[in-house]
Amino acid sequence: MFKMTRRTTLRRMTSAMLAASLGLGFTAAAHANDTIKIGILSLTSHSPSIIAAGKGYFGEQGLDVEFVSFQAAQPMAVAIASNDIDFGMTAISGGLISLAEKGAIKIIGGALQETPEIDGQKILAAKAAYDAGLTSPDKLVGHSFGVTTQGSSFHYMAHKIADKAGFDRSEIRIVPMQKVPAVIAALKSGQIDAWSIVPNIAGALTKGPEVVEIGKVSDYIDNYQVTTVFTSTKNVTDHKDLVKRFLAGLAKGIDDYNAAYVDKTLGADDVAAISEMVHKYVYADQPMDKAAPRIAAGAMRINRNAKLNLASVEDQLKWFQSEKLVPGGVTMDDLVDTEFVETF
Amino acid sequence: MELILEKINHSYGDMPVLTDISLSVGSGEIVCVVGPSGCGKSTLLRIIGGLERPTSGEVLMSGEPPADSLNPLTYVFQDFALLPWRTVEGNVRLVLEDHRIGRERVGAVVDDVLARTKLTEFAAAYPRQLSGGMKQRVAIARALSVNPAVMLMDEPLSALDSQTRDLLMDDLIELWTQVRFSACYITHNLAEAVRLGHRIVVMSRRPGRIRDIVEIDIPLSERPGFPTETAAIQRRLWEMMRDEARAADRELSDVA
Amino acid sequence: MSLDRSLPSAAPATEKPGAAPTRPVPFRGSGFTHRPHRHVAPLVFAALLILWEIGSRTGFISNISLPAPTEAAEAMADLFRSGMIWKHLSASLFRLTVGWSLGTLLGIAVGLAIGLFSVARAGLSPLVSALFPIPKIALLPLFIVWFGIGEGSKVATILFGSFFPTVIATYGGVDNVDRSLIRMGQSFGLSWSSIVRKIIIPGALPAILSGFRISASIAIILLVAAEMIGAEYGIGAYILMAGALYAIDQLIAGVALLSLLGLAVAWLIGRAEKMLLGWRI
Ligand SMILES: Nc1ncnc2c1ncn2[C@@H]1O[C@H](COP(=O)(O)OP(=O)(O)OP(=O)(O)O)[C@@H](O)[C@H]1O
Ligand SMILES: [Mg+2]
Repeated sequence: MFKMTRRTTLRRMTSAMLAASLGLGFTAAAHANDTIKIGILSLTSHSPSIIAAGKGYFGEQGLDVEFVSFQAAQPMAVAIASNDIDFGMTAISGGLISLAEKGAIKIIGGALQETPEIDGQKILAAKAAYDAGLTSPDKLVGHSFGVTTQGSSFHYMAHKIADKAGFDRSEIRIVPMQKVPAVIAALKSGQIDAWSIVPNIAGALTKGPEVVEIGKVSDYIDNYQVTTVFTSTKNVTDHKDLVKRFLAGLAKGIDDYNAAYVDKTLGADDVAAISEMVHKYVYADQPMDKAAPRIAAGAMRINRNAKLNLASVEDQLKWFQSEKLVPGGVTMDDLVDTEFVETF
Repeated sequence: MELILEKINHSYGDMPVLTDISLSVGSGEIVCVVGPSGCGKSTLLRIIGGLERPTSGEVLMSGEPPADSLNPLTYVFQDFALLPWRTVEGNVRLVLEDHRIGRERVGAVVDDVLARTKLTEFAAAYPRQLSGGMKQRVAIARALSVNPAVMLMDEPLSALDSQTRDLLMDDLIELWTQVRFSACYITHNLAEAVRLGHRIVVMSRRPGRIRDIVEIDIPLSERPGFPTETAAIQRRLWEMMRDEARAADRELSDVA
Repeated sequence: MSLDRSLPSAAPATEKPGAAPTRPVPFRGSGFTHRPHRHVAPLVFAALLILWEIGSRTGFISNISLPAPTEAAEAMADLFRSGMIWKHLSASLFRLTVGWSLGTLLGIAVGLAIGLFSVARAGLSPLVSALFPIPKIALLPLFIVWFGIGEGSKVATILFGSFFPTVIATYGGVDNVDRSLIRMGQSFGLSWSSIVRKIIIPGALPAILSGFRISASIAIILLVAAEMIGAEYGIGAYILMAGALYAIDQLIAGVALLSLLGLAVAWLIGRAEKMLLGWRI
């Protein structure tokens, strides 16, 4: 799944091949660039770093990049904790907080965020449950709600819905299914009543007859900081400069991403060029003409300059602690290093 | 009841094993069958007991078996064939359980045969706790319990050491004196044949045919008193068998 | 001795045999046998735990790669304090007992059929060989559709996991029943059902029971997989949650619970063997 080697020569070679395969001018060998490994999931929301690498924004910072693909966020966090990779981007999960508590990783910036003006995550109901009266998230009392694992962002969303709608969290029955495809299968077959998910998946689901949209997550959670950028504590303390250069490169990638998919201010050719880069990692199993619209569909905003909504992060941490999913002693300082990006 | 074998022929595939065996076992008579290894003795016994069908020929029963015989043709096996998970008593009971003869009668029969085979005090022992001789006693008790018309015994004593064998032969004669069962008794051991057989059938090497039948008219219980006569018969049997045995031994076995 | 005459070290040739010096035959038969050492296993275990604890305390074992044993013990104690242990245990034990019992009962039935009837053997045994190696975890998505995300799919996973090894153990056991015992039964005119009940099944029982050891271990292994889907409680669900939260102390506590469960099951089967196979020793 991911390579464990830390031998820099090997890193150089692979990143050289990578850059070459992306068809880019590769001049790093001359100034002995630093090599960083970035963990990604094959989701559109991970494309800013792909774009930054493809357009040479990391190269401008003197960074060679190697991407390491993961199937799930959890092993990516563990790989950062063990210094096998350097940077990653995922939702705040119990696993992430536990590793932060052990002093292994830190959140250094914000990524995906719910904003009122952009289509965000949707709350879905199975058709049978909808027909039986589950027409709004406020009526989730007594219903089952699919999550991947306990302490996942889905679990958080379910409880925030309960809080806002004004019923007890325990009135929603949380059903862990481990993987997103399993949740989808259970929702489609009506074995669970409800779920919440990013708009592109939600859109695909509600096209079919089995699933109905009943609400938006942004109505229940204010300015939800869905995913964050994080790195190892070692990088934060010993390689501040590296972190800064990474974030600088990433920021330019984020701008291109937002322009291409969220604000749609780029020309068709530019979007196509960007999608070409992203396609190397996202929907790579599909031909370009099929993948391109899927990559663009339902993209959510990623914070400019990786700004971080501290209030939302704190709310999430409090929720984890109130549910006893993470130790009570974890502080915001354990979890976040605020020196690198603007926070609010 | 008398048992009559008429022109039994048997072959396994192309290999003839038995040719033209005609023989009878009279009521209360012990017929010993001797012959070189692989001549078809066990096969013959399986055919007699209805465990195998002969290629041609018939095994006939003439007259009725005793009214209380539960299993007219009953085997005693060389390897005892005791169920290791049943006690001595349980092993005897096994063959009575399928017959609807009532609990008390089963109990009575078991007690009786265990007493006759001097096993009463071992009723609760498991086969693994018993010596070979004791195991064969259990097998004999089991056979006696169904009150057979004919006992079919395939080298019943050959797994035992010679002292135990002698003791068991005495026991068998004592049992036979009490209840005159008939038996077809297969053995390699000529001393056994001479000690136990009213008639001794000598078979040739494979394909087995009857070479000779030797009759001994000294009553079983008196034979220890005639050492010279029995020794002479045994020598005669050995002379008959020696060449067959030598030839059989040098034969290449094409099976197993 | 006379052959040794040419060797300088040999005894003087003039000595009479009776007068030769005597010495004991050296003992050469030591080693290569096992003696029971009752205290060794607990000592090794304790020593490992202590080394592990020291390693964790000194930081030699990093706190993200393994929790200290005391931390795992603390997580275990938490389970007892909060009473959650009983919820997890009862949920898992229910799934294990129902799934394993049904799986082994069906397995014995099919195994006997294959062992006794040549038609069943011809029809079923290739099927069993084909289906046995399929990892049941791979079928989990199908099980969810077939049996739902409730207890059905969990019990079914364990059921299928214990079914196949039992089938194979059972018909292997039937095949290995001493033919001479069956012939003996036939020669005494025992009915077919008596032969099966009194000779074949007891004869196959040792093999069936050792099949139980395997199927029970497989059932425990599959518990985690079975509880991946929609399980709120259960030791497997607890371990999965600990993994998702990267709570490695709870993870180790959960794994220790599984080991204990395995030991308990092995002990129970050992007892059953003692009871049912007492005749063997
Ligand atoms: N089921 C069988 N199928 C094929 N051949 C067989 C079978 N049973 C026995 N034979 C062969 O038939 C021949 C006679 O066998 P049998 O066991 O009757 O001999 P035996 O006289 O009892 O020998 P032994 O003195 O060694 O007990 C042997 O060559 C044996 O290999
Ligand atoms: Mg034989």
